[in-house]
Amino acid sequence: MTRMKRVTAILTIVGLLAGFVVVPAARCADKIQFGFSVPLTGIFGKAGKLVLDSYKLWAKKMNAEGGILIKGKRYPVELVYYDDKSDPGVSAKLVEKLITDDKVDLLLGGYGSSLVFAASAIAEKYKYPMISGGASSNKLFDRGFRYYFATLGKATEEVRGCVEMLKGLKPKPKTVAIVGSDILFTSLACEGFKKYSKEAGFKVIHFELFPIQLQDYTSMLLKVKKENPDVLLVGSHTLVAIKTVKALKAIDFSPKAVAFSYGPTVPDFVKSVGKLGEYVFAASEWTPVLPYKGPVFGTAAAFDKLYYKTFHRHPDYVEAAVAAAAVTQQLALQQLGLQPPYTEAKREALMKKLHDIDIKTFYGEVRFGKDGANVAHPPIAVQIQHGKVVTVYPKNVRQTAPIYPMPSWGHRK
Amino acid sequence: MLIQAIITGLLLGGIYAVYSAGFSLIFGVMGVVNIAHGDLVMLGAFTSYWLFTLGHIDPFLSIPFSALTLFIVGYGIQRLIINRVVEAPPIMSYICTFGIHLIIANLALRLWTADYRSITTSYCGSHLECAGLVIPYARLATFGMAVVMVGGLYLFLNRTDIGRAIRATAQDREMARLMGVRANHVYAMTFGIGAAITGVAGSLISSYFVIYPQMGLSYTVTAFCVVVLGGMGYIPGALLGGLILGVLESLTATYWNAGMSSALTFFILFLMLIFMPAGITGKGIVE
Amino acid sequence: MIQTPPGRAFTLPRKAVLLAAAVFVTLILVPAFCHQGYALRLMGMIFMGIALASCWNIMSGYTGYIDFGPAAYFGIGAYATALLMVRGGVPFFLSIVLGGVVAVAFAVPVGLPTLRLRGAYFAIATFAFAEATRQAVLEWDRVLGVNFFQGSHGITLPIGPTHQFFYYTFLVIMTVLFVITYLVERSRMGYALKAIHEAEDAAELIGVNTLKIKIYAYAISAFFTAVIGGVDAYWLTYITPNDVFSVHITIKMVIMCLLGGMGTLLGPVVGASFLTLISEPLWARFPYDYLIIIGVIIVLVIVAMPKGIVGTLLEWKVDSRGT
Repeated sequence: MTRMKRVTAILTIVGLLAGFVVVPAARCADKIQFGFSVPLTGIFGKAGKLVLDSYKLWAKKMNAEGGILIKGKRYPVELVYYDDKSDPGVSAKLVEKLITDDKVDLLLGGYGSSLVFAASAIAEKYKYPMISGGASSNKLFDRGFRYYFATLGKATEEVRGCVEMLKGLKPKPKTVAIVGSDILFTSLACEGFKKYSKEAGFKVIHFELFPIQLQDYTSMLLKVKKENPDVLLVGSHTLVAIKTVKALKAIDFSPKAVAFSYGPTVPDFVKSVGKLGEYVFAASEWTPVLPYKGPVFGTAAAFDKLYYKTFHRHPDYVEAAVAAAAVTQQLALQQLGLQPPYTEAKREALMKKLHDIDIKTFYGEVRFGKDGANVAHPPIAVQIQHGKVVTVYPKNVRQTAPIYPMPSWGHRK
Repeated sequence: MLIQAIITGLLLGGIYAVYSAGFSLIFGVMGVVNIAHGDLVMLGAFTSYWLFTLGHIDPFLSIPFSALTLFIVGYGIQRLIINRVVEAPPIMSYICTFGIHLIIANLALRLWTADYRSITTSYCGSHLECAGLVIPYARLATFGMAVVMVGGLYLFLNRTDIGRAIRATAQDREMARLMGVRANHVYAMTFGIGAAITGVAGSLISSYFVIYPQMGLSYTVTAFCVVVLGGMGYIPGALLGGLILGVLESLTATYWNAGMSSALTFFILFLMLIFMPAGITGKGIVE
Repeated sequence: MIQTPPGRAFTLPRKAVLLAAAVFVTLILVPAFCHQGYALRLMGMIFMGIALASCWNIMSGYTGYIDFGPAAYFGIGAYATALLMVRGGVPFFLSIVLGGVVAVAFAVPVGLPTLRLRGAYFAIATFAFAEATRQAVLEWDRVLGVNFFQGSHGITLPIGPTHQFFYYTFLVIMTVLFVITYLVERSRMGYALKAIHEAEDAAELIGVNTLKIKIYAYAISAFFTAVIGGVDAYWLTYITPNDVFSVHITIKMVIMCLLGGMGTLLGPVVGASFLTLISEPLWARFPYDYLIIIGVIIVLVIVAMPKGIVGTLLEWKVDSRGT
């Protein structure tokens, strides 16, 4: 080994160790620290960033008022968060770190079903309430947990609005094809589509789940095209929705309606596919036009406005659900008059309170079932019209009527 | 239905072939399994995306730009990094290219965010329709390019001086050195050329696939399969391997389901390696 | 080709044995003084990393056969444990051992043909095996119309006991692997493994049944990888095919082993501790740049000290003795 090489090696080791300095966080008694783990990198990184923004908005709003008012004293909000790299093991580790190392006062929920699965198990073990606004897989609620809640409905329920909207269309569609990517959240959406399609009297003529890594959708969709369904229902997240729309155009497949479980409500969707995204439907749980109103953010429209002012984009329903989760925990604290520090007994009281809570917020009513899922929330359906997400179902709140059938590719401008 | 499935498969195969040829070249000459390969596709696609978005240049016209950009990137990577490990045990180059993958993919993420982007051209989705068969033009063009590029690369390696130097170095580095070939330069040229044609592939797919910084790894995995099927390091094998894989996937997706097509691909890959490590052509390099 | 001797068969002096024993006793006592969940979890994760890197080291580190598919055995172990515990009501410890046995039942027939392949071919074949397994678990129920693996819905396990439990479980597994590596390194098998790395054909000529030796190493590696997968499933309480058959598990194993030094006894220990400890502050401070930095570290280590930390230190020791 030459001297030169040895020097490089030493420099490498020293360089690597240079980054290895930990600064302990200072503690302060008259504020409330909320900890959460959120994916900022990896497959959920994109969506996790939205969750983070939403919490930041809430914290900023509270701190502008001087903090959360509890029994006449204001407590500023501090967010403590880490990137879980979209890895469930890391997510669990981080929640444990937040609880035992950072000693945060309370927790907020993360994003992504498999991540929240791991994280909520730790929260349950340490008896910290966790309200998630970014995970909705049914299995999360089958565990008999007492400390886990969600402002979203269950994944299979989320798509109900879409199917009910289709049922009311004239002429009523007869046949549906359901496809979706094979990960927990989207496969549950497919099952929801199937269940409600059957209830609505549609004939399900095709049902297929494909691997999330699938590069090219044309073969699969050509097969569906041959079966000629009236409606194509897709269990999707943003990337799947974008790929599906592009593939539909490429193979010239225009069913009378296309509906996605998730994706088109994310601003990325329209930005990416442009005009190709016109007329597609999507399931949603919240839009700014809904007549909801509550403390903290005011109306749904006011939340949208504030969000747009802060981040220059409109919030998606997941972002609203996340902010609503933070608001719900805050209101429960205020109603109970629970001041920090939050001992195990106080957290238990908070948990019990959350089980009986019934509040109205900008996000709509929040009321948790025994299993922790939000039962008060009606699913809605939206459509992309002129590049905008508009609410088309339920009838009493819709902005405009759904456009159906969608013009075939050949008949568009 | 069957004919449509085969056509779709062949067109998909053309896409596979076009981004796998560079992988095969790099492996054939240096024995480097380039895990950062898919990231080169990503860089090529982004080059086209930015030229389209900012300069309104059609993705097909941006091909020379992405080829040049990627040649420089590839040459640099080989010269600065991989040349230093090319003589070490092969594992070193695998892990090294994995490190490069992390760097490129995450730098791209920093620069361009995780947004899903796509190019919507005026002719996007236009297709040839005859006897009920759908043939998208963009894919047909990719298919043509695949044939041209694999053929061109094959001729380049056989007919030009630098091509012969590359082959000589691939066969016997020491001997080539004695004959006056600068191995380091030749390796860097090889990586540069491999990266350039991969960049072209990136431009080609950019008009119909979704572009985002973390798309790379899945392209690397497909390139693995294609190149093993056709024979590792044997350039025309990339075309054959791509077509076989494309048709196979299309047929299973059509007559069975898309999930099985993925399982089957890996199963066949596994069996191929065991029973026919030199690929279907029998001309791959076997260690 | 520069042929690197895969680790030196140094016999541990008494001092080293005493030191190892002292470290082990200290680690046993740590939870008695430290009640902090996070610290224990982090230690547990380091032990798990060391154990995983050791599994990879026993097979690939010594022979130079690059296994890119250990995630298959990790996943098999995780699923076997989950199914046995949840469906069969089998106790945890029995489940993880059975998980290991299932993995061996796969490893032998898979290893027999693949271990005849060399170089990149072995690496890609093992990778293909892992991906095919993952996809098979995803598709199984749908294709056969049964309700067994539950596909992408995954399996929920009961909430596990305390951290101390996992801390000690991983401590034991890590120690067992460390001792096995030590014994293998000094045994005939260890010499055969290194001979395979140096000159496999020559080893065969002088009568070493290289395939048999490779299968042994591969099976040992698969067994323990599966056991660790099983413990991790219980720790996480929820598994899906995409998580437990993830290629990232393989990558982590390879990189930890390589950073520390392939084919050395202490390599996995140093590599896994180093990577975990350096990751923590880096990632907490630079969440967006973290992976870029890890990428740079990997490239730097490969270029500047290809034998890993332990390998490089050993080399200096030899160097300074020689000059």
